[in-house]
Amino acid sequence: MSLTDTAPQARRRDLRIPLAAVLIVVALAAPLIGTRYVTHSLIIALIFMLPAHGLNLLVGYTGLLSLAQAAFFGIGAYTAGLLAVHLNTPFYVNLIAAGLVSGAIALPLGIPALRLRSTSFVMCTLGFVIIGQAISKNWISLTRGDMGLSGIPKPYFELGPLSFAISGTTSFYYLALAVCVIGTLIAWALVRSPAGRNMVAIRENETLAESLGVPTWRYKLIVFMLSAAFAGVGGCLYAHYLTVVSPLTFQMYYSTTMLIIVLGGGAGMISGTVLGSLLFVGLTEALRVAPELRMIAYGFCLLVLVFWFKKGLAPLINRFWNAIGGSK
Amino acid sequence: MFSTIIEQVINGIVTGSVYAIVAVGMTMIFGVLRAINFAHGEYYMLGTFGAWFAIDYLGLSYEASIVVAVLSTTVVAYVVGQLVMRRMVGAPAESGVLATLGIALILQNTVIFVFGGGYKFFAGGYIEPVSILGFSLAQQRIIILVVCLLVFIGLELMVTYSRLGMAMRAVSQNIQCCGVVGIDVPQVVLRTFVLGAALASLSGVLTAPVNVSVYGGMGELITFKTLPIIIMGGLGNVRGTFYAAMILGIAESLVATYIGLQFRDTVGFATLILMLMWRPHGLFSTQARF
Repeated sequence: MSLTDTAPQARRRDLRIPLAAVLIVVALAAPLIGTRYVTHSLIIALIFMLPAHGLNLLVGYTGLLSLAQAAFFGIGAYTAGLLAVHLNTPFYVNLIAAGLVSGAIALPLGIPALRLRSTSFVMCTLGFVIIGQAISKNWISLTRGDMGLSGIPKPYFELGPLSFAISGTTSFYYLALAVCVIGTLIAWALVRSPAGRNMVAIRENETLAESLGVPTWRYKLIVFMLSAAFAGVGGCLYAHYLTVVSPLTFQMYYSTTMLIIVLGGGAGMISGTVLGSLLFVGLTEALRVAPELRMIAYGFCLLVLVFWFKKGLAPLINRFWNAIGGSK
Repeated sequence: MFSTIIEQVINGIVTGSVYAIVAVGMTMIFGVLRAINFAHGEYYMLGTFGAWFAIDYLGLSYEASIVVAVLSTTVVAYVVGQLVMRRMVGAPAESGVLATLGIALILQNTVIFVFGGGYKFFAGGYIEPVSILGFSLAQQRIIILVVCLLVFIGLELMVTYSRLGMAMRAVSQNIQCCGVVGIDVPQVVLRTFVLGAALASLSGVLTAPVNVSVYGGMGELITFKTLPIIIMGGLGNVRGTFYAAMILGIAESLVATYIGLQFRDTVGFATLILMLMWRPHGLFSTQARF
């Protein structure tokens, strides 16, 4: 009897695999269909996607509101830029180094910061961005101050005897796409693991999680470092794409953009962050046709988000997911 | 040597007064709303622009421009308060950050859109220097000091004795109980917010003759200066905010003179982070509340 009850449910087509196929085709074909400007907007969206994934682990899964992402984004960009300019290292070395350096610097910063309560923690992380900018402006022997590092080479690879460079916008798009897909898969694997469930437990009730044996302090510290590493990798892409890094990489506007991606897309949801970065970064790049009104429109978008989409786009994504036959 | 230090300290106290008048509004808003107002510096900017507009376009005197500036900012703040701030009661911290950032973007870019993004010259105020005990000081700076003291004495009395002040303290202690005893929480939030914005604009008008230049992005800098002050003073703590603003003003002035001008804007957050390691709940609050 129970078999007949579930029968209509089972007969519904599972559209997840066709959807994934469509997404892959669209992602691969986008630069071929769209104009060069569309490709550029997509690259910027992809550059912001990784720091946003890191922030999502922090805000969405562990429940720590942080504005420090731009600081680690800048550290990653400078690490990659300095390595590429001075040592002429290949792209993948810079990428890994940017992630490692950002993650390592997050350790001494995270130890005092994570002891703070909510509002003080937000301000402390904002302070990292401000201080990072001051250091990059004034440590002239290393960063060349306000002039910034220029002439960062386009990414090149060295695999045995083979070496090739990525120079065009379209080929950079595929490189960024590949890095982002790997990053997204890592984030996805992390939140689906037992560690991801422990992070959610900390977000929901830290005291309870602690009493159930979750080492909350160590978790928060490691997630803070991981989010910094994600931001650093994003910074490396940024440095290689723009070929210039200036102290303006450390600006609160970038931190808030990443926060808007996460909260707008739906905190605590990997697909939300992916959609959010395409929507909120791709869209603002596209809005540059009306530069004077662009930021005003953006401000109104934020208010709409806060009042009408309290949980971001997550409920919409969930409804869509259920409609095409996906399960949780 | 010694007299230079004293002169820098006096300058620092003046700067601190400017920060204090802005920061006290921000900290009171935090007290009733539990939200950091990232748009607070924009009301300072609106005040300056209102006064500049009154002097340059309407041909009013500096005194009249103060009234125009504060009144026009109050109107803007009332509209923002009605539409946005009073609906933020009980909202999570992230919503507060996003909403106030949105307001900051709208206000700042509307002003830039209307008046252009360039620097403007502010022509009013009393910039004649006077000599007191051998130190020369612009009259405007003395006005700032006096107004700051009056504002804080007034606020201290208001928070202690007036109905609104008592309601504000009640809301900052326990929002649920306020609802039970019949305090209209959104109304208290709205009034506190408008009062805070009016104070910020007053600070903006008073500082304009000293700063001379007026531009659309100036509010953001003030927001970043006042954020560390309200944390150091202990969130929601009026008297603590005053002391923290003075400490920061003096520190900035000394750093700018003896270490380097380029480090001045970093002093606030650097001090804040060092202080948070030692006293995470602020310098002047006895216990952590937020």
